[in-house]
Amino acid sequence: MCFKNLPIEFDEQGNAFLKEGVANPYEYKVVELDKEQDKLKELMVKNGYIKNIDYDPVTRVAGALAFHSVVDLEKKKVLSTNSMATLFRGYEIILKGRDPRDAAYISSRACGVCGGVHATTSAQAIEMAVGIKPPPLGIALRNILLAIEYLYDHPLHLFLLAGPDYSEDLVKETNPELISKAETTATKFENVHGYKTILDIMKDLNPLKGRLYLEALEMTRVAREAYVVIGGKYPHPQSVVPGGLSVTVDITTLNEVYTRLIKFFDYGQKVCGIWDDIFDFFLEQDPAYADSGRRPATMADTGVWDRPDVYDATYENCEKWGEARWATPGIVVDGEVVTTSLQQINAGMEEFVEHSYYEKWDGHRFTHDPLGTPLSPHHPWNKETIPKPGKQSWKDRYSWDTSPTWDRMPMEAGAYARLYITAKAQKLPKSEFLESTGHSLKIRVPAHRLPEAEMEWNVPEKWNTFERNRARAYCIPYSAAVAMENWMIAQSLLREGKTEVSTKYEIPKTGTHIGFGAWGAGRGFLTHHLVIENGVIGNYQIITPSTLNAAPRTPWGTPGPYEEAVMNTPLLENFEKPEDYKGIDILRAIRSFDPCMPCTTHIMSKNEKHVVTREVTTCACGVE
Amino acid sequence: MEWNKRILIGTIGYHNLSNHSVAPFLFEKIKALPWAQHVTVEEFNWGPIAIVQWFQALEQSFDRVILFTAISREERQIGELTIFKWGGRTPSPEEIQARIGDAVTGVISPENLLVIGEHFGIWPKELYLVDVEPGPEKAGPELTTEVGERVMEYFDTLHKVCQFGEQSDEKFAILYGDQMPV
Repeated sequence: MCFKNLPIEFDEQGNAFLKEGVANPYEYKVVELDKEQDKLKELMVKNGYIKNIDYDPVTRVAGALAFHSVVDLEKKKVLSTNSMATLFRGYEIILKGRDPRDAAYISSRACGVCGGVHATTSAQAIEMAVGIKPPPLGIALRNILLAIEYLYDHPLHLFLLAGPDYSEDLVKETNPELISKAETTATKFENVHGYKTILDIMKDLNPLKGRLYLEALEMTRVAREAYVVIGGKYPHPQSVVPGGLSVTVDITTLNEVYTRLIKFFDYGQKVCGIWDDIFDFFLEQDPAYADSGRRPATMADTGVWDRPDVYDATYENCEKWGEARWATPGIVVDGEVVTTSLQQINAGMEEFVEHSYYEKWDGHRFTHDPLGTPLSPHHPWNKETIPKPGKQSWKDRYSWDTSPTWDRMPMEAGAYARLYITAKAQKLPKSEFLESTGHSLKIRVPAHRLPEAEMEWNVPEKWNTFERNRARAYCIPYSAAVAMENWMIAQSLLREGKTEVSTKYEIPKTGTHIGFGAWGAGRGFLTHHLVIENGVIGNYQIITPSTLNAAPRTPWGTPGPYEEAVMNTPLLENFEKPEDYKGIDILRAIRSFDPCMPCTTHIMSKNEKHVVTREVTTCACGVE
Repeated sequence: MEWNKRILIGTIGYHNLSNHSVAPFLFEKIKALPWAQHVTVEEFNWGPIAIVQWFQALEQSFDRVILFTAISREERQIGELTIFKWGGRTPSPEEIQARIGDAVTGVISPENLLVIGEHFGIWPKELYLVDVEPGPEKAGPELTTEVGERVMEYFDTLHKVCQFGEQSDEKFAILYGDQMPV
């Protein structure tokens, strides 16, 4: 049984039902945060070393994130944290009442990086709602596009956003004692990256001028080129449609993709070698780094990359086609996989707004999913987005993000969750390139300029800042391998004359039709929940990875993933006076999640005149 | 007329934001104007890094680049046009990094493009920014009257800057990369 907190049980045939005798099964206790905040205030008055440290905005992340912490600079400990999404995301409201065929194009704009994944997730939601599935070539090409999109995203994060935190320039300022050690520490993977010492790597991680920084920029271009060869345009493809793709692809197109894809075989090996060396160095120098950003490995992932011979877009079969994916959907609680069923993942989702700038909604229209599993009134199919801008208060509301949970637990999302669950679940389809062992994922990387290699990512003992980034690095060869596997499938289909890439469909003009798209963004878990009413969108709800990660506290007081990870982070920065403190450990912990706030929050378009306003309450000055 | 110069006019801006979208709104019309053969008109509604890489991949570089956009500035009337000649210079490395961070995550911004382009050395000696005062931000596919009725003036200015650069009879202000608001 996968649920421990929600009152859902299963009979011997696996049919779900609500536990009997529970008067209000979805009730929860709201915990007031006043006492905690009053205690902190008291401490700050008594102790001059306890200070509010605000990061507003958190730089080198995508979009508008601010972070509040209370830190004891003498004991080098974090006492309290609040994660703030500082802009409203209005896509749920923008989409309401529109033609469902617009959803893929409009929701794509939710993010300037992940436009393709939003478009695809939206297309899947419509496919489920109207009962169509793309032809095999359409599915294989969609997989290639989405793998390529990650090949754009991961280098960007690893070297442009998080990478500078481990560069010579930055480490020299925050932990100069590590520089001399780095100078004399030999690397383990010189054979793939060419660097002799750790300091050599750190120098090339320097922002703006380091070779690794500049190379990552170049590789984002290679990935973009590969994407547009098929998709026509990036980041907001017009070619991703419900039922497949609106493109014509031939062998030449695939060959043009291949000439770019192969560059990621070598690059994947190099990137993993770089980050294995850097992270092993930090963890060896001070084992306390293993507590940086630490939280239980409690994660959610929707899985990604559908099998062309299995995916049929139906809710009834979503467990089957979900588990057949090249990345297995799943929920991990404290390191253990509790389900790989997309239906159970969907049924366990809820969103809460007690500490967010939204009104609670009434009603419980969908009490069960199409297979009869009970759904909470807080489930996305039942949710309504009702913005309520207001005063920022740590005791009350402080974020435009909501608090999503699965089985009443905050969940972490990321590319690393994709790797983690796939490695543990052992449900991968037969593959030329991938093997899930239950404790690791083996990736056979084809030869390009470097010889063929078998790489292995091992599930780590502790889940922390370093392991998130290390796993993200391994997602480069992983994504390249999936792209290659689907490239071979696409070649075979073309040779067999199976050239169709899309399926025609009509939006039903009457009745209620529901669907959900479950696909992965570069940063992990992504769902679009759709209700079509009499031919138009009646409700549309998006949960992005950063909706999960940047969440404020749950109504019962459990911190969101950023908040928890930073709370557990030891301050290992070397400083003497409080005014010298730079907060690198906290920033490393936050950035390890690859925060992407554009799809978590957005500008607000209100009233019939479509006045675009920004309700920005970012300044933490004077906040209660 | 400097016939031997390769000249580029790039339009920058998000769509559907009324006057803030003046450049993408007028792109097709600008492209259809009677330009000489050595003049190229391109849409630059992309992240600045993609544009930098577009420049880096050019087989033959441009001698003069003119960027047309809308930017809110103090003490201007809605629709007013200002021509800036780029004076170069870059802000602090932290600010460049922040602008690159914006750029790689898809933000379209003329200011970021100018700074990032300068950092990566893509700009020719002659770079001009021609920008319109858009007034308050609002959504919609139409220009307001203040901007709509000055469209011919914008075309005329682009023609003059394109043909004569700073030798034209227009007034130019100098814009430096280390003096732009973030």
